[in-house]
Amino acid sequence: MLTSANLVWLVALPLFSSAILLLAGKRSNSWGHVMATIVSACTFTVGAVEFFAMQGREEESRAVTQKLFTWISVGSFNVDASLLLDQLSICFVLLITGVGTLIHIYSIAYMSHDLDRRRFFAYLNFFIAAMLLLVLGDSYLNLYVGWEGVGLASYLLIGFWNQKPAYATAAKKAFIANRVGDVGLSLAIMIAFATFGDVSFAGIKDQTENASSTQLTAIGLMLLLAACGKSAQFPLQSWLGDAMAGPTPVSALIHAATMVTAGVYLITRSNFIFDEAPIAQMMVLIIGGVTLLFGAIIGTAKDDIKKALAASTMSQIGYMILATGLGPIGYAFAIMHLLTHGFFKASMFLGAGSVMHGMKDEVNMRKFGGVGKFMPITALTFGLGYLAIIGVPPFAGFYSKDKIIETAFNAGGIKGITLGVATLLGAMITAFYMTRVVILTFFGNERWGHKDEPHESPALMLIPIGLLSLGSIASGFILSKGEGLVNWLEPIVNPLKEHHAEEFLPPIVVSVMTLLVVIIGVSIAVFKYRGDQLAIAPTKVSLLTKAARRDLFQDDLNEVVLMRPGQSLVSNLLSLDYRIIDGLVRAVGSVSITAGSKLRTLQNGYVRSYALMTVIGALALLIVIWAVTA
Amino acid sequence: MLTAPSLGYSLLAPILIVLAGAVIGVLVEAFVGKARRTAIQVTLSIGVLLLSLQQLWRIKDLSSTTAAVSSVTIDKAGIFLQTTIILLALAAVLLIADQDNFVAQASALPGSDEERAALQNKSQQTEIFPLFLFAVAGMMLFPVATDLITLFVALEVFSLPLYLLAGLARRRRLLSQESALKYFLLGAYASAFFLFGAAFLYGYAGTISLVGISAAAGSANDVFLLIGIVFVSVGLLFKISAVPFHSWTPDVYQGAPTPITAFMAACTKVAAFGAILRIFYVGFAESQTIWRPIITTIAIITMLFGSIVAIAQRDVKRMLAYSSIAHAGFLLSGVIALNKDGLAASLFYLFAYGFATLAAFGIIALIRDSSGEVSDLNRWVGLGKKSPLTAAAFSFLLLSFAGIPLTSGFVGKFAIFSAAYKSGNISLVVVGVLASAIAAFFYIRVIIMMFFTDPANDSVSVVIPSVKSKISISASVLISIVLGIAPSLLLTTAANFANFIK
Amino acid sequence: MSLLTIIGLLPLIISILIIAIPNKNIGLIKKVTFAGTTIIAIISILLAIGFDKSDTSLQYVQSNVWIPTFNINYSVGIDGISLVLILLSTILVPIVVLATWHESDSGRWSVKVFYVLILVLETMMIGVFAATDLFLFYVFFEAMLIPIYFLIGGYGSGNKSAAAVKFLLYSLFGGLLMLASIIGIYVISGNQIGATFDLAQLATLEIDNQTENFLFLGFFIAFAIKAPLWPFHTWLPDAAKAATPGTSVLLLGVLDKVGTYGMIRFCIQLFPDASKTFTPLIITLAVISIIYGAFMAIGQKDIKGLIAFTSISHFGFITMGIFAMTSQGMSGANLYMVNHGFSTAALFLIAGWMMMRRGSSTISDFGGLQRVTPVMAWTFFIAGMSSLALPGLSSFVSEFLVLVGTYTRYPVAAIIGTLGIILAALYILIPVQKILHGPTTPGNENLTDLNLREKIAIAPVILVIVLMGFYPKPVLDLINPTSEQVVTNAGFSDPVAKVGK
Repeated sequence: MLTSANLVWLVALPLFSSAILLLAGKRSNSWGHVMATIVSACTFTVGAVEFFAMQGREEESRAVTQKLFTWISVGSFNVDASLLLDQLSICFVLLITGVGTLIHIYSIAYMSHDLDRRRFFAYLNFFIAAMLLLVLGDSYLNLYVGWEGVGLASYLLIGFWNQKPAYATAAKKAFIANRVGDVGLSLAIMIAFATFGDVSFAGIKDQTENASSTQLTAIGLMLLLAACGKSAQFPLQSWLGDAMAGPTPVSALIHAATMVTAGVYLITRSNFIFDEAPIAQMMVLIIGGVTLLFGAIIGTAKDDIKKALAASTMSQIGYMILATGLGPIGYAFAIMHLLTHGFFKASMFLGAGSVMHGMKDEVNMRKFGGVGKFMPITALTFGLGYLAIIGVPPFAGFYSKDKIIETAFNAGGIKGITLGVATLLGAMITAFYMTRVVILTFFGNERWGHKDEPHESPALMLIPIGLLSLGSIASGFILSKGEGLVNWLEPIVNPLKEHHAEEFLPPIVVSVMTLLVVIIGVSIAVFKYRGDQLAIAPTKVSLLTKAARRDLFQDDLNEVVLMRPGQSLVSNLLSLDYRIIDGLVRAVGSVSITAGSKLRTLQNGYVRSYALMTVIGALALLIVIWAVTA
Repeated sequence: MLTAPSLGYSLLAPILIVLAGAVIGVLVEAFVGKARRTAIQVTLSIGVLLLSLQQLWRIKDLSSTTAAVSSVTIDKAGIFLQTTIILLALAAVLLIADQDNFVAQASALPGSDEERAALQNKSQQTEIFPLFLFAVAGMMLFPVATDLITLFVALEVFSLPLYLLAGLARRRRLLSQESALKYFLLGAYASAFFLFGAAFLYGYAGTISLVGISAAAGSANDVFLLIGIVFVSVGLLFKISAVPFHSWTPDVYQGAPTPITAFMAACTKVAAFGAILRIFYVGFAESQTIWRPIITTIAIITMLFGSIVAIAQRDVKRMLAYSSIAHAGFLLSGVIALNKDGLAASLFYLFAYGFATLAAFGIIALIRDSSGEVSDLNRWVGLGKKSPLTAAAFSFLLLSFAGIPLTSGFVGKFAIFSAAYKSGNISLVVVGVLASAIAAFFYIRVIIMMFFTDPANDSVSVVIPSVKSKISISASVLISIVLGIAPSLLLTTAANFANFIK
Repeated sequence: MSLLTIIGLLPLIISILIIAIPNKNIGLIKKVTFAGTTIIAIISILLAIGFDKSDTSLQYVQSNVWIPTFNINYSVGIDGISLVLILLSTILVPIVVLATWHESDSGRWSVKVFYVLILVLETMMIGVFAATDLFLFYVFFEAMLIPIYFLIGGYGSGNKSAAAVKFLLYSLFGGLLMLASIIGIYVISGNQIGATFDLAQLATLEIDNQTENFLFLGFFIAFAIKAPLWPFHTWLPDAAKAATPGTSVLLLGVLDKVGTYGMIRFCIQLFPDASKTFTPLIITLAVISIIYGAFMAIGQKDIKGLIAFTSISHFGFITMGIFAMTSQGMSGANLYMVNHGFSTAALFLIAGWMMMRRGSSTISDFGGLQRVTPVMAWTFFIAGMSSLALPGLSSFVSEFLVLVGTYTRYPVAAIIGTLGIILAALYILIPVQKILHGPTTPGNENLTDLNLREKIAIAPVILVIVLMGFYPKPVLDLINPTSEQVVTNAGFSDPVAKVGK
């Protein structure tokens, strides 16, 4: 396999830059954000260079590696710190560095009023480094480092304004939910090592056919657990909504475009395991399906624009996960949707940020309305993103989502129909809640209830949004042109070049159905939210809405099932430790003391009793001897 | 017409010299004027001890079973024990020479006019020195005596002076006299047991010599042997204060003048254990099946009882009394081991423990307040702040009693327990370490009181000791330290001298 | 004279110099101690440089007769495991001295005594890891209690003397049990090959099972108390709460390692069969420690108590790794000892600075420190991340090695142990949020950030934590050969992957 000396820079550049910013402290306030942005741009350039170089090469020789050093080597457990850039990871590299750079630029303006802007950029750079390590690591353990790295970055950025207790808590919540996932990843690695004696992708891939399906299923399920944690999939999804506490650029980059999709990457990367482990694959489908509906439903009831978008992210990733569950032909579409989603969701988040920027950081859509005419460009770009996500041709979402729905149906049998219906239903709800967001925000009566009007954001913010919305327009078409992405990824995810099994429905039918449900969804929303709205959320609402507002009781559940029992366990252990375990220790002491003072009373000072003791002693000895000798 | 028995004077010289010294001491009491008496007595005592030591050095390689017909055996172990006693006695006499601890006129009633008068005109009586020398002589005879009568005589020779000495405390006279009386009554009582047992043994073996008794072992009617062994043991166990024959110890240790307590605690232990070792190794070795179980039981009870009850003590002298009971238990494991290692270990242990105890009581004698010596632990708080050096030395001794490594006590414990283990008495080892763990508790409590508690306003102070005490204490502490770090010299010597001839 | 002996003696020599300095000249005393211990650290690094990694036999050996009667020798020598632990000790001491510059000023006794005790302790720490004579080891093992006891009781805070006594008696109890076992194996050696305390020879003894089990327990309980393993742990939180931060660093960072070190060096190497017999029990205790310690840590209201219980959890990992009897587990456990030493040092020192500034060790008294004292906050955060074994930091490597090494032989234990990483996130992030995040609560507004001395002191620790996370190879190279030898000598070999390559 080819080697390249450049890969390390992808990780090293942003890592060093963030280290410099953190160590330099306030001194770098003036130039920190500039450096960070430039560095991010550099990584994008490196990525681009590698991409074109890769395109130039033959299909089988496209992947390049770089071994940095031996990381851990004990007995048969050998892990090198080495990077692997192949057709799959390059997609991510470009997405991460590309979107990442745009968001750096955006943040310069967005965070300009924040005293700690420099620290913010340090975190962003750190995130870029970690995320690139995640997708470039050539073994599960290297991936794990990046995996936790992005977790840490996300923790730091969600809690960027951690002087607000709620935000600090949100950050903690995210970290812990991710840790649950990490348990899965750790266990997957352990099982993999016990099974294959290796933890590198290549090493395991070569041996999967020898492994028993139970082992592979176990690994697969553990990887899925990891994916659920990182990608906010059911049942570990609850953190994503709260994660919106972070500055909006963060929500766009980490909690929409890149980090949360790491789970999709993990499953796609592990295709060689899942393809051999049908049960695990089925679980992937179920999780994906459940989450895409779960997220969509939550999305319908959120008044906080960022939380609505977060719910939508959850649901869209549900689509991707579901696609990865569809086997060799699904992966490519998952990645395609991941990329397109990266563009339009990022642009919408930045758009939301722009709105907040123009409206005193207000996030409640009930207090928006008619913003469109004050912030035309934002409205336009947001609209493009909207069209993309609900899947109106020829916008990006149409190509990627349709493919997934189509493949879902083609899965065949009950399975196919269930999945197909689920995805269609999802599409409809998506159309509904996105329309709702757009109407409540940009149209209708002005409800912000203060004199000064919203103002359009500065160019530094609008340009990145614009570029991203170009993506929302064109990316889908480009990627699917001549099955471009599918063929590109085939060597990695579909080596046997499987193609659609017998088509359950012709693609055109699926497209029509999809468009139909989308139109239904849109029109319901339009009908429901026509005319003037109130600035406060109605209280007399259906039970479902109530439930959706409470995120379908996910937090309440966690609290009842985990938090409360945990707390009582801790308090019980505390008293057990003191009363019983330490109690025994103390008892030994007190017992011997009391014994001492009791026996002491034998020493009563009377010669007669001393003498008596002597006699008794002597007689006792005699008796003992007799007993022994006789 | 009897022929005078032939005596190996040169071998008996060490003992005879001390006896002679004692007799001279009596004469000094009679004829020398009060003023110069003390000086002369002290010099005399030290002189005879040194002389006797020199004699011991002379005969260190000799041995004979017929030093005094067949009633005294001079052999390696005997010489080692005698030397230990002499050295300890030297240290002790320096403490005793600190007259302030003793009543001016023993005959005077406590608090009576005579006493006050005696105090005023400095008519300090010095009969303690001859008494002391008599005791030493008896102690030297005890471990080399090889027939029951001689043993008994030796026993009485060193016991009677101790009974008297115990009553001579200057302060708290009543307590002192009470303790003396108790000691006397119980001592006599125990001697009776010893004599009774001796009679049975004679009845059994037809001889009073230890060799004869061991030779007779296995012959008929061992009920006599059995009773004999038990009662003789009771007599001896009383002297080493093994449970349940220990009860005199705390009262006497507390009541007696501290220097005398030091002397008793150190020298009596050596002498008595010397005798026990000889009797059991030489006399009863053949009948070990009879006595091993009971002595083992006694040892176990003694270790535990001593350690546990010591926890409850509030008086430092009583606490050390119980600690000495516990140590008697440890030392008994050396007897039970009944092998060369056991003997060597016991010899080392006795030497090390002797000096540690002596130093400890020596220091106690220095801790005073206006009304004299204070042995109440609660008054020792914050001693470490007032006089760190003394407190540090005392702590070191306590750690040595506790058997912390790098102290003489640890080496001794290790030696004696490994001997016991080797002889198969693993239960003794286990109980031993557990007892040590318990014991550590109260030793450390004293250290806390001295160092970690702030001095109360009524707390005590350390008197500047007289040169003699200073020498004695510092020498003893030094020996303990050296034996902890570099014990090999003494260990080797003990090993070489660990030998009873029959 | 072996370089090892010289390093061991140097602290004593320095302490004599210290004694020569007049009491009131506090500054000089501290400077001399710091300079001296730094030199020792440097020399010990030379020791590591001169160490031949490829050679698994003992190096820098020296043997002199000490007590011929019992064939006790002053024998020292090191292999990879003991070397890294000696390095840990010698490197941590100067850091502690520098970091806790004023710790001794308000003690019960003079500053001089404090540093003399520290130096004596260092000698003992070096000795205990270097001793290859069982008796010599025991002497250091027990004697090192005394300086720590006085350090806690004399310079600690709160209920210090009670805690010191509890620590001392608990350890003494264990030590005496071990003494019984030592006597036992000594006598057995006497019957078989001639009485000896030489480890290599003792390892060759043929002991009948029952006896071996009892002797093993004597050693193991002593070490389980030292390393605190559930349920022998209750002395540790008290001691850690009472001791000064510096003392706690030495206590948890180094002294307690003697326990886990002893398990490897003595329990397993002297009693391989008994080790096999008891492994299930020990693994169970280890797993309980991991989970139990973590839950207890979550419940702590006192920073010191928190760190103490996290350590109990970590010692669970170490013990589990040791008795997994795989090269990964063994190396991981050894590496863990080093890493835990540094991360605990970081936690305790920084927590110490916080408490000194705030005058309280109660977590809830702090709040919003990140805005007031960013550097202190950051260092604490990094230390915490290392404690929860964040990949990229040192502890991750060791913890993962332990887990992966355990999984290959005891999957269930490993799985339960892995759950511990969730709890770790909780017990670190909850205090991090309470102390560093949120609004700056009253009483914290005017806290000062780390001064230069403190920064210099903590920098190397943080550096080690980060570097060892990315490049543990140098240390692993020292550890691996010995670890694998231990596993092999114990009669184990790594389980082979189910799907052989």
